[in-house]
Amino acid sequence: MNSLRFARAALRARPAAIRAPLQRRTYADAVPDKIKLSLSLPHQSIYKSQDVVQVNLPAESGEMGILANHVPSIEQLKPGLVEVVEESGPSKQFFLSGGFAVVQPNSVLSINAVEGYPLEDFSAEAVRAQIAEAQKVVSGNASEQDVAEAKIELEVLESLQAVLK
Amino acid sequence: MVFAWKAAGLTYNRFLAVSARAVRRSLKEEKRLVAERRGEMDLRFAKWEDGKQGDVKHLAQANTAANAASSS
Repeated sequence: MNSLRFARAALRARPAAIRAPLQRRTYADAVPDKIKLSLSLPHQSIYKSQDVVQVNLPAESGEMGILANHVPSIEQLKPGLVEVVEESGPSKQFFLSGGFAVVQPNSVLSINAVEGYPLEDFSAEAVRAQIAEAQKVVSGNASEQDVAEAKIELEVLESLQAVLK
Repeated sequence: MVFAWKAAGLTYNRFLAVSARAVRRSLKEEKRLVAERRGEMDLRFAKWEDGKQGDVKHLAQANTAANAASSS
């Protein structure tokens, strides 16, 4: 008799739960202020859909910071510094050689680049030597293609030198 | 917006390769050695005509020559 009463109570309780499914909190609702970041190179994934707070990008259209719930967009990246602000600890800085950042709906951000390394892996001396070399090519009488390539290198190296200081 | 490298006849692919090369060369010694090994390519090809094999050429050298010819 007692168990029958319980069963009836359960039957009565269930429709209420079905009626209010919107009040259920899922994991995604509980942490709406994080971006899932994937930072991938052809040979390595630096981030693999990891939760971060903010990502600053050197887009061709200007420097931009990406927070959660950003408008979906595709940005071409200049060779430059990408800054990742994580939930705890200091922000991490990577120098990428250029690529694309895709902001997807639901706070998903994918960054693709050819080369990318943490800032501390670069040697200011090597950068200075390469700048001198590239400037020699630009001012000398090399072919148009060589000059164009040296100018690309100069752009990369100068932005690298600016962030290394 | 027209990029300077685009005006000089370079492709976006070439632009990426050049900028990645500059980044690799700027690394500290031990990282650079590992990274530059990854960028190495040794592919050779030959054109066959009338059942005879032509000269064996390096793909990388032939590409640079073709790029130079197309941009100037």
